[in-house]
Amino acid sequence: MSGGWNTIESDAGVFTYLLDNLGVKNVQFEELLSLDPDALAQLHPVYGVIFLFKFPTDAPYQAGEKPLDGTFDNDASEHLFFAAQTIQNACGTQALLSVLLNKTDPSAGDDAGFVDVGDALRDFREFTMVLPPEFRGEALSNSELIRDVHNSFAKSSPFVDETQRQSGEAEDAFHFIAYTPIGGTLYELDGLQPAPISHGPCAQDEFPVKVMDVLQRRIARYDATEIRFNLLAMVRDLRIRAREIGDSELLAREQRKRSDWRFENALRRHNFVGFAGEVLKGVVAAKLKEGGPAYDKWIDQAKEKMQKRIEERKKSSGGGGGGDDVDMEG
Amino acid sequence: MSIVPIITFKAGICDVDQSSKPYKIKPDPKPGYVYLYSEDELIHFCWRARDVPLDQPELDLVMVPTDGHFVPYNTRNPAEPSSKTNGRIFVLKFTSSSQRHLFWLQSKPQGIHGDPAWFSPRDLKIGEIVDSLLQGDEVNVTRELASVRGESNDDGDNRRDADDDETMEDVEGHGDPSDHHEGGTGGAGAGATGGDFRNEGEDAREGGADGARAASSDAAAVVRNFLDSLKGTPGLGAKGQGQGKAYPLLNDLLDTTIAIPMLDAASDEYVDNLLAFLPPAVLVLAQQGDTGDATDAEPSAESVKSAREAMSSGEKRTLLKKVLRSPQFTQSLTSLTMALRDGGLPSISEALGIAVANGGLVRGGAVSLGGGDAVEAFVDGVKRTVQKQQSAYV
Repeated sequence: MSGGWNTIESDAGVFTYLLDNLGVKNVQFEELLSLDPDALAQLHPVYGVIFLFKFPTDAPYQAGEKPLDGTFDNDASEHLFFAAQTIQNACGTQALLSVLLNKTDPSAGDDAGFVDVGDALRDFREFTMVLPPEFRGEALSNSELIRDVHNSFAKSSPFVDETQRQSGEAEDAFHFIAYTPIGGTLYELDGLQPAPISHGPCAQDEFPVKVMDVLQRRIARYDATEIRFNLLAMVRDLRIRAREIGDSELLAREQRKRSDWRFENALRRHNFVGFAGEVLKGVVAAKLKEGGPAYDKWIDQAKEKMQKRIEERKKSSGGGGGGDDVDMEG
Repeated sequence: MSIVPIITFKAGICDVDQSSKPYKIKPDPKPGYVYLYSEDELIHFCWRARDVPLDQPELDLVMVPTDGHFVPYNTRNPAEPSSKTNGRIFVLKFTSSSQRHLFWLQSKPQGIHGDPAWFSPRDLKIGEIVDSLLQGDEVNVTRELASVRGESNDDGDNRRDADDDETMEDVEGHGDPSDHHEGGTGGAGAGATGGDFRNEGEDAREGGADGARAASSDAAAVVRNFLDSLKGTPGLGAKGQGQGKAYPLLNDLLDTTIAIPMLDAASDEYVDNLLAFLPPAVLVLAQQGDTGDATDAEPSAESVKSAREAMSSGEKRTLLKKVLRSPQFTQSLTSLTMALRDGGLPSISEALGIAVANGGLVRGGAVSLGGGDAVEAFVDGVKRTVQKQQSAYV
């Protein structure tokens, strides 16, 4: 059995340590809160950006003959790493790798062209570059190493997505795509498209401005209320520059960020059943000790919270089929 | 035409005398078999006398999936004390009509005090198997029956004596409908343990479990295995819905407005105990602060111990509050609630050492509680456990 892939969150801490655990050196992610090119430029060296968005599945995704912006570069897959997406849940990791595995040439020159991806991924790239894109995607889905590391960051609740599904609304799809400059051209790497998409010439230092242009145009194509997106920059470990220029404040900030990320990741991996049981015992004990109606009041208040939530959800989904979710009553 | 029964057990028909209320139930003494077989995707529910061939049953009902239910006829209902019968009775009833058929088990009763109306786990299991088949579920009858062999119960000690040849023969599971052999004693033998999924599946992900955390990794593994077994099931969570009352989620019961004040007022002993249920890496990180350029490898037992010792009570509480506020903890409460609602109550409560009413089963039946009822039963079980502990300090 090739094994399943679980969903992971689009989170800078998750992605940073995911790559770290795959053996990649000195790379981190930084969330971008706006399409301001300067914010991106400040983070140099920048390897690429990952764009995550939700889109309703009733609209056709693939552009057809031509992409909606840019041009298909069918020959590009020969010399750059591009893989067709085969498994929905793997698409985050796939987007990361589509940037990373195009930065493996040490002779690429300036430091935004080369990343030490570690032996395992180097071997993976070598193995898959001789395959056509569809098979590269397969190889990715079948890679035990990559899948295991990916799954180790999975959300602790496999039910979180399921409850969305039960609400009867059309399921929103998550999609990750990557943008990166390779050999002087700005590429859009989207596993659901038939080929890499070229957005024209782009030198390394032009990347922040040009990629934000492309993203602006893309977002403009969607109805502003419908598009929810997340943008993560893949950059060199910011602590390196902090040390190089002696910026102790930046260094301290980055250390703290790393510490927070490791804390969150440890919680993500942790199974809380025993802890939850103890918390419940603690609350029950406290309510009983309070005596009188305290215990029953606690339960009743919880019921009210649930009721309120159900009503709010009904209101926002306009009633109808939105009621069949975790709060379903008897 | 050869009929291959999926399950067969010794049972007799009951006549219902409707001339007066409460109806009188009179077991017909004729020895017989209830058996089920499948034809053209439909289940047939049949009864025949024992000396009659398979294909000439006196009763042959073609069952539409989900229309029928086969459940114990509860004679201990205090509302009708006079209806207590002297046998174990099951009723076959229909959602599509008010028609009912009653049957009495003809296998040897196993109640310790000779209480003939006591349903043993095996008796309940038979009912559960038949009921599941009537819903259209696939059931591995052999495995299900094997899981109640050798199972101890309250009346256990005498059971071994009662478990003689007659008991072995009185129910036959022909586990695989395409298996053409008839007769024989069926069952998987005394040593079979049945599919206890707790023994399968991986260990908890965290390494280095110290003593205090061993229990939680066990419970954690139970829940994770249970959740994994449900993955890919269509309509996940649907089982728990429509069942029982509306009852809040664990998230509603344990949100930060409740949990944080509880922690503030809790004893140091409680705080230390709770701390042991956190991943060790988190303690080390909290204590180290930002100095770590450390690796992500599981910290050694000594570093965990020294981290814990170095933390003041206030620092421990701060850490615990941070965890209580985390989205990861919130998600885990959702996950646990769903697991309880979807039939995980018996295994979860057992893994956590919480005694719940009826072992987490529906009263009078053999299926797990689900929906809001299961969450309520869980919370009630915790309440009883805590009350017992509190009274121990008196």
